[in-house]
Amino acid sequence: MEITVRTFYEEGKELLQLGIEAGEAFLDNPISEISLNRPGLALAGFYQYFAQKRIQVIGLAESSYLKSMTSTERSRQLALMFKKKIPALVVTRNRRAPKDLCALSTRYRIPVLRSGMITGHFMNEATLLIERLTAPSMRLHGTMVDIMGVGVLIEGPPGIGKSEAALALIERGHSLVADDITVLRKDSDRAIVASSVEVTRYHMEIRGLGIIHVPSLFGVASMRRDTKLDLIVRLKRASVDDENDRSGLTPSFREVFGLSVPLLTLPVAAGRDLAHVIEVAARNQKLKDLGHDAAKELDEKLIAMLTRKRQTR
Amino acid sequence: MTGGEIKTVEQEMTIKNRFGIHARPAALIVKTVSQFASDVTISREEMIASGKSIMGLLTLEGYQGAVLKVTAVGPDADEVIAALQDLVESKFFED
Repeated sequence: MEITVRTFYEEGKELLQLGIEAGEAFLDNPISEISLNRPGLALAGFYQYFAQKRIQVIGLAESSYLKSMTSTERSRQLALMFKKKIPALVVTRNRRAPKDLCALSTRYRIPVLRSGMITGHFMNEATLLIERLTAPSMRLHGTMVDIMGVGVLIEGPPGIGKSEAALALIERGHSLVADDITVLRKDSDRAIVASSVEVTRYHMEIRGLGIIHVPSLFGVASMRRDTKLDLIVRLKRASVDDENDRSGLTPSFREVFGLSVPLLTLPVAAGRDLAHVIEVAARNQKLKDLGHDAAKELDEKLIAMLTRKRQTR
Repeated sequence: MTGGEIKTVEQEMTIKNRFGIHARPAALIVKTVSQFASDVTISREEMIASGKSIMGLLTLEGYQGAVLKVTAVGPDADEVIAALQDLVESKFFED
């Protein structure tokens, strides 16, 4: 996903202590590379492999170098960089941008921002922010809970008992992340992070009760802002076709953002303690993540025994 | 199929697949039995298990060559026996 300098500015205004020095009209420039660049080499005139699609950051080193030049030389070097159509330039440590920089901003239609942070911290925080802003994300129907560090998304048709299951899990000491609508975001090549929509965070809707505020009723530990997605539990009404893989030997997965997430389908029959079953599923997932697959291990043991019997018979 | 008279059908089946009744074949037996109305019990020597219990079936130790006695009681006893016989003959789709 591509973002504009405006999104970066607005989302990072407080976090990165950003201000606009010049070129407010050009904030809609796209940032097409998810990273930042310190243009030291470019300012020295070396433009091979110059990362021109990234936001350029002028830190203490760059600005000291610029100061060491004559003003004509400095303008010339800066103009060379602006000509590359960089998305934006950021000056750190709250230093005011020199006048010639502002003139270049207008001329080449590139915004110049200022940050109150020191360069190292700014680079780290800004990179994380851009990654977060450009990460693929989606909203889906489902209730997200954290069970002993295992993030479980509970899915199923309306009225099947997702929220009730979550409520029972909270009572067993686990935490709610999102009720009914869960936001999934690809965090890295290996992880998907689940959270709730800001506006409904900490709330649940329980049929017959209405809307409740979870931490007021169950304490602060009953909620989490986000958690990793480790397991999807799909609730479905019990029927005759539920005898698919009773052994647990054929694991199912669902593709989410190109990652395979373990998927369990739980038939819901009257009187079944769903919360308890989901908790055990989370424990079992944890065990699998540690490299122990109980179904597989028992099967190996059985096969060894049966093969021995066949031979000695 | 349903609503017919209750019948009892008994048949011996010899396990053909190499690894015998391990977890996957046991799950297949349960899946098959669940599609019928009749009750099924499976026994070998003095051991006996319900056709709907994976853990029970595993305790029968049905190795290749073992003979299982399958008993079905219900309106579709013939059909479930035939379906189980097919499953055993097809070596649980394994070998």
